[in-house]
Amino acid sequence: MSAKQIHDVDAVIISLTNIRGNLYTMSLRAPAIAETAKPMQFVNIALGDLSDPLLRRPFSLSGIYPDSGVIGITWAVVGRGTQIMARWQAGESVRVLGPLGNGLDIDELDTSQGLLLVAGGTGLAPMIPLVSRALAKDAEVHIFYGARSADDLLDMGGGCRVHLATEDGSIGFKGLVTGLLEAFLDGGALGDGKPTVISCGPRPMLSAVKRICRRHRLPLLVSLEERMACGYGVCQGCAVPSARGGYHRVCTEGPVFWADRLDQGECTR
Amino acid sequence: MNLSVNIGGLALKNPVIAASGTFGYGEEYVKAGDIRWFGAVCIKGTTLAPRAGNPPPRTCETPSGLLNSIGLENPGAKLVIEHKLPWLAQFDVPVIANISADSREEFSELAGMFAQSPYVSALEVNVSCPNVKAGGIAFGTSPDMCYEATRAVRKAWEGPLIVKLTPNVTDIKAIAKAAVEAGADALSLINTLVGLAIDIHTMKPVLGNVTGGLSGPAIKPVALRCVWEVAQAVPVPVIGMGGIRSAQDALEFIMAGAGAVAVGTGLLIDPEVPRKVTQGIREYCEARGIEAVRELVGAARR
Ligand SMILES: Cc1cc2nc3c(=O)[nH]c(=O)nc-3n(C[C@H](O)[C@H](O)[C@H](O)COP(=O)(O)OP(=O)(O)OC[C@H]3O[C@@H](n4cnc5c(N)ncnc54)[C@H](O)[C@@H]3O)c2cc1C
Ligand SMILES: Cc1cc2nc3c(=O)[nH]c(=O)nc-3n(C[C@H](O)[C@H](O)[C@H](O)COP(=O)(O)O)c2cc1C
Ligand code: FES
Repeated sequence: MSAKQIHDVDAVIISLTNIRGNLYTMSLRAPAIAETAKPMQFVNIALGDLSDPLLRRPFSLSGIYPDSGVIGITWAVVGRGTQIMARWQAGESVRVLGPLGNGLDIDELDTSQGLLLVAGGTGLAPMIPLVSRALAKDAEVHIFYGARSADDLLDMGGGCRVHLATEDGSIGFKGLVTGLLEAFLDGGALGDGKPTVISCGPRPMLSAVKRICRRHRLPLLVSLEERMACGYGVCQGCAVPSARGGYHRVCTEGPVFWADRLDQGECTR
Repeated sequence: MNLSVNIGGLALKNPVIAASGTFGYGEEYVKAGDIRWFGAVCIKGTTLAPRAGNPPPRTCETPSGLLNSIGLENPGAKLVIEHKLPWLAQFDVPVIANISADSREEFSELAGMFAQSPYVSALEVNVSCPNVKAGGIAFGTSPDMCYEATRAVRKAWEGPLIVKLTPNVTDIKAIAKAAVEAGADALSLINTLVGLAIDIHTMKPVLGNVTGGLSGPAIKPVALRCVWEVAQAVPVPVIGMGGIRSAQDALEFIMAGAGAVAVGTGLLIDPEVPRKVTQGIREYCEARGIEAVRELVGAARR
């Protein structure tokens, strides 16, 4: 009768590094999660046994290595919880609940016309496992990746076509990544191709991507973030408005949604 | 060592219950935790008509606490009775149906509907939800209205009847007595405390609903005080809740007078809390030669 698919594991930190600025990445030994996790799924990490901070914090899997039983997390320090995590050290163990959310099954995705990924900031993190699996299927992958400046960029594996944008112009296109995307599509670089677009990043960026994709009639999947309490579907805390009225739970029906399943206004909040 | 308790006619193999709203209808929970560690489970607050719930954001962490403004999102009693409860029955854990309504008539209709289901072991009347405009908490803040809501359910439901009280009142004992007079077999306390959080960057309240209900360790002392006061004021058993995450927390409630305990926010953080609490209570009792957890109920007041 055990239907357990979500595991709460004591994961040992194998390595934890400060990439640059406020960006950190760590790899954790968590075989139960690594063996079944799909790209774009996430985990909910406990910050300790104390009651303050009380809740776990959700993070996308930036690495999934089933063979070695290892998972990776990449994050920006934005508050108290992420600051606590930045002080953890290799060898310590932390409680990790996962894998959570729907994720993306690369085999169920039409990659025949390629994939066009649009990421903002730490929104690149969940794309990394997706890219490696898409490349393994010989899909053509374009990544549009935007950040505030060169100091805010995450490292990315090779093998795909990267289009960089920084708001301060310190590297790549100067401006928003959506501007770069729009110029690329308007310039007809894809010909008649209709790649699936997958986007993860701040809500205003997602709204712009949605508008651009609608204009170019491209199918769009977005990965959303919302404040979470449980992360595993029991509290209904992570609601986003559905296109058909009512709400979806980001942690369970998402975090990945076909953009047309969401309320039009949703991304602009 | 005997962990079983009886709460107003509801027999539980151990005193740990899943609190309403933190367990859904079980479908997601069973993927992450083992439901068999619960003495009983209480389903999400259910209303006659489906409810979409409140606009996001719906949660906000506060010092040692959680503010939520879910707003009783639920698919409505008919769907719950036809689909959720029969599925949940396979686990052989008693199910408590938590119900909420805007009027006496609606409470009565809801109770009648659940009375037709073979899968409900007890009803919990929620007169304490702070996140809905009409009904909900209004019934729990006046002894007369609490009496009326309880009475309406009592007439339509013969099984164990629990009334869930709010701490957002001046004298919780008066409300408790009214519920018992109207026929409650047990009382649950406490529901969340109304609270607020402000975001200084947006200069707006954090929650889409402005106010929310505070739960978690931050409210434990308030909950313990409520259990202490109510348990000596009424002749029926009390289910204690508010910030329970460990066996120690649970034992504090039991010693204050609770016949059973419920875990809410604790479950959101750790799906395995019921196992840890139950095992911890057993270890505590065994180490002290206590034969039944029942012996500890109200121990702190003797
Ligand atoms: C499914 C999911 C996947 C995520 N993946 C990543 C990731 O891979 N890398 C990464 O750096 N961050 C990710 N996040 C965001 C991350 O969870 C938050 O940055 C983190 O919880 C903030 O914790 P804190 O204690 O440092 O900040 P707090 O002090 O709690 O808050 C600081 C700021 O973060 C915002 N915030 C708090 N909680 C959340 C939340 N759950 N979602 C979004 N914003 C929040 C607050 O509005 C506030 O502005 C993800 C969030 C979700 C829901
Ligand atoms: C997310 C959330 C949803 C809740 N929903 C309900 C509900 O539908 N009905 C109800 O009676 N209580 C509801 N509650 C209150 C809890 O059942 C419990 O009384 C309260 O949270 C105190 O316990 P805790 O500190 O262990 O969470 C909810 C609490 C939370 C945190
Ligand atoms: S965070 Fe609890 S249901 Fe999504």
